[in-house]
Amino acid sequence: MTTFLEWLENTTISTTLRDSPNIFLYPTILAFHTLGLAFFVGISSAIALRILGVAPGVPLAPLRKFYPLMWIGFFFNAASGLLLLIIEPTKFLTMVDFYIKLVCIAGAVYTNRVMYFRHFYRPAAIEPTSFSMNDKVLAVAILFLWGASITAGRLTAYDDGNTQWQTAVGTLGVSVALLVGGFICVKIYGVVRDALFGPADAGASRHEVASR
Amino acid sequence: MEQFLRYWMRWPSVEAIIYKYLWAWGVAQSLHFVGMVLLIGTVGLLDLRMLGMAKQLPPAALKKLIPWGVFGFILCLATGIFFVTGIWANINVHPYVVLMSDVFLQIKFVFLGLAGLNLLAFYVTGMSKAVDELKPGEDAPALAKFFAGASLFCWVAVMFFARLIPSGKFQP
Repeated sequence: MTTFLEWLENTTISTTLRDSPNIFLYPTILAFHTLGLAFFVGISSAIALRILGVAPGVPLAPLRKFYPLMWIGFFFNAASGLLLLIIEPTKFLTMVDFYIKLVCIAGAVYTNRVMYFRHFYRPAAIEPTSFSMNDKVLAVAILFLWGASITAGRLTAYDDGNTQWQTAVGTLGVSVALLVGGFICVKIYGVVRDALFGPADAGASRHEVASR
Repeated sequence: MEQFLRYWMRWPSVEAIIYKYLWAWGVAQSLHFVGMVLLIGTVGLLDLRMLGMAKQLPPAALKKLIPWGVFGFILCLATGIFFVTGIWANINVHPYVVLMSDVFLQIKFVFLGLAGLNLLAFYVTGMSKAVDELKPGEDAPALAKFFAGASLFCWVAVMFFARLIPSGKFQP
């Protein structure tokens, strides 16, 4: 196995992409990996947020039109990811973080497909007004798997196991703190807004339901 | 001006955090990516709708996702400030030097500025209100489409050039 990886790392394509100072090679591949991620994960996350109750006035069926763009983003990610792997195969393919990243991406792709078949493949004739607990668990799983994929991807930049471990725990801690802090801030904002201007949400919700 | 920037761009307190906690830089990087994803997933979707994709979506309802995009932008801004003010602790180069010599960072900032101006123009010209009033299936006004296209282009450029920043040349 090691012999194969060393052979791969010494192929012309690998050495050219790795050692060339041309910014249109390694840095541009990395940039396309990021752009693919932004569209793939971004659209998927927005749909998951919608399932979790954010922007309840957004009808589900038209969101289906964004799926092809999402999969184009995935194609960019997969193609650029393969090239990045060829650049440093002995590093990535011997790294636990890299396999964790791959497992998380596979999980996210699978859960996205499940979500697609549940709600978008044959959209319901009547817009659902609420979602089952299974749908919400699926949406949370999608968001969690994306967060874990991004973090595991960042960890591959570090060679030291201790730094990787600390970064993983740190990311989890800071993310939980942000979510809890954000939730409390939104609740406080809602209470203050309602106290000052009245319950504005009630009117908005009625309008959203009527516009469906 | 140089002295002013050299003083304000380097924060020893941020550098101390990066020196002390091995995880700080990596956590900030992950959050920077999460912020970017939220921004594109919300603002990007609204831009695409204005450009004519998924026209059955009412833009006013889609706008309810925007606070998550704003949250994403704040995440990016906060972690971006963290990177700039603490970069000495990471690569031993003064942030002022990086700002003045890394052309990719400069281009990224130009596109960030353009994205901001584009957003301002979107509101000032009344296009934001016009888009709010669109019913499902209705086309956005041409000017709103221009702003949506410009917004997508600017954000894609910001991400693209941001990824090239480490390849830029730092000349002390």
